[in-house]
Amino acid sequence: MILFVGVAIALVPFLYVVSTSFKESTSLFSYPPDWIPSPIFWGNFESLFADHPFVQWTLNTLFVSGAVTALKLWFDSMAGYALAKMEFAGRRGVALLLLLSVAIPISALIIPMFFVVRYLGLLNTYWALILPPLANPLGIFMARSFIVGIPDDLEASARLDGASEFTIYRKIVLPLIRPGLVVLGMFTFMLQYTSFIWPLIAVQDSDRQVLAVGISGLQSAFLQDWGLLSAGMLAAAIPITVVFLLVQRAFVFNDLSGALKE
Amino acid sequence: MSAMSPRADVAVSLIQVAKSYGDVEVLQPFDLQVAEGEFVVLLGPSGCGKSTILKMIAGLEEVSHGEIHVAGELVNYVRPRDRDVAMVFQNYALYPHMSVRDNIAFPLTMSRRPRLKRDVIEARTVTAADIVDLTPYLDRKPAQLSGGQRQRVALARAIIRQPAVFLMDEPLSNLDALLRADMRTSLLEVHARIKKATLYVTHDQIEAMTMADRVVVLNAGRIQQIGRPRDLHTAPANTFVAQFIGSPRMPLHDLEVRDDGILQLADVTLTGDADVPLAPGASVTVGLRPSALRATSSASACFVGEAKRRDYLGSDSYLEVDLGEGLSVMVRAEADAEVRPGDTVRVDADPGAIHVFDEAGARICGASVCRRER
Ligand SMILES: Nc1ncnc2c1ncn2[C@@H]1O[C@H](COP(=O)(O)OP(=O)(O)OP(=O)(O)O)[C@@H](O)[C@H]1O
Ligand SMILES: [Mg+2]
Repeated sequence: MILFVGVAIALVPFLYVVSTSFKESTSLFSYPPDWIPSPIFWGNFESLFADHPFVQWTLNTLFVSGAVTALKLWFDSMAGYALAKMEFAGRRGVALLLLLSVAIPISALIIPMFFVVRYLGLLNTYWALILPPLANPLGIFMARSFIVGIPDDLEASARLDGASEFTIYRKIVLPLIRPGLVVLGMFTFMLQYTSFIWPLIAVQDSDRQVLAVGISGLQSAFLQDWGLLSAGMLAAAIPITVVFLLVQRAFVFNDLSGALKE
Repeated sequence: MSAMSPRADVAVSLIQVAKSYGDVEVLQPFDLQVAEGEFVVLLGPSGCGKSTILKMIAGLEEVSHGEIHVAGELVNYVRPRDRDVAMVFQNYALYPHMSVRDNIAFPLTMSRRPRLKRDVIEARTVTAADIVDLTPYLDRKPAQLSGGQRQRVALARAIIRQPAVFLMDEPLSNLDALLRADMRTSLLEVHARIKKATLYVTHDQIEAMTMADRVVVLNAGRIQQIGRPRDLHTAPANTFVAQFIGSPRMPLHDLEVRDDGILQLADVTLTGDADVPLAPGASVTVGLRPSALRATSSASACFVGEAKRRDYLGSDSYLEVDLGEGLSVMVRAEADAEVRPGDTVRVDADPGAIHVFDEAGARICGASVCRRER
């Protein structure tokens, strides 16, 4: 019962957005509100696709989020492997430095980041959106913690059997931390999909812009078209839902059971 | 050191090998040679450095000091995979995401010189699986196997490499007693079939005594004794070996040698078997091997004492017998012998029952009962 109330409370705003997106702006503030608009009004969506580069924004967002996620998973898992399993001078130092940098708030980094990206001449490009998020060390720590859980003997055995470090990473470590990486990937993708401030600063062209920024641009200082805004939000939620549903299939947990004697 | 270059029929040779982690010495310098086809067991309590020895031979741990030769070649600086050794890990270390087939084939799929053809790998995988009776399980994942089957996968993965030397780290330690006995037999069968030098680690003395050609007894990073199982039993080098080997544990008694060079244990006198008589006044330790002492009804028995407690150990039972003066020994008794606590028990000692150790614990000699006084 409590669950039901909770779900209902969470759903109401969402349903309101859905309902609003199918209404004309003029009928928005009728009281009591009609939950089911009649007649259903498609004008908001037509305007979204006709007057604004909504499809382009979606593609941009999917591309940037996908690229960031893929590259991040690759880098984080390799760095995590090195930090978890390899002996090298200064390993603790590196880990500590990374840990400290996690503690720096994003807002303190935005302005220096802007100058760096401008210096590199990357402003207003996809690179400006893809490169900076890769520097976030949180994923390295998560990957490291997954990998620390793999027994050392597994790699020792593979090494003795003739596997190179890279083969161990590819053939032993990666498959074993896949469930963790899927979670990390979804998390990263989601964060990128909804990221707002940095794209707002780094990219000016409407054609290169991402969804979050694009949609917020639908409202201007003088005109509050709630219907259009709601339509944008609803349409933006669809691609990420599809992505999640697809990824869920990859969510086959293969745990470590069977590696060792229990 | 290279002057002691190993002979040709020696598969593994360790020369003055030692290991320390920082300042902590975990293995004192020692020598060990394993002949072709020999089955050598490293035996010792937990933490004594058994796994460390295997890992150094495999190249997974650096050697702090000394030389390791495998098949006549110095391998200190050779990469693990080029050392021609295969290892069965203390915890099988199977790859959980791969099928049994892929697990067994893994070392071959890694081989680059020469790179092996798919059908060659498959054929050798099937052969290796057959040796350890795993053929019906090739397509399963490790999680779908019993403990004994997983152990055999690990074994097959070692066999398939056809190495010069097998290293096995407590491969049976987590199996139940019945399965362990079975696996012991099948391991020995496999060994008899492929006849490769094997270094086998265990902390189970029964495993060591039943499987080994030779046993290396270790304690706290030091080799205590290297010898055939019989020798460890009949002539333990020191009190540690004497107590570690044999069940029940050998009780020890501290004594002082009498002025006439004779030992007196309660009301029984003993003479040392050594050519040199025991030094009068010296402090020694005497151990009486329980399995060589028998409760008897014969009037000529060596010891007489009072029965205290009885332990059943399979077909035999052991009696704790109080000899007076605070000395008690464990003696073997027929399982059906009617002895109750408080009864008087006569005890006969077989040859080799009594061992005399010096103050430092090193064995001086055996001893025999000369007579009962009083
Ligand atoms: N990386 C390490 N750093 C410091 N000490 C270590 C390290 N690895 C092992 N040791 C120490 O070395 C000693 C020997 O360890 P080892 O694993 O060889 O023991 P073992 O005889 O195999 O014991 P077990 O029967 O429990 O497996 C132990 O006292 C252990 O604490
Ligand atoms: Mg060990």
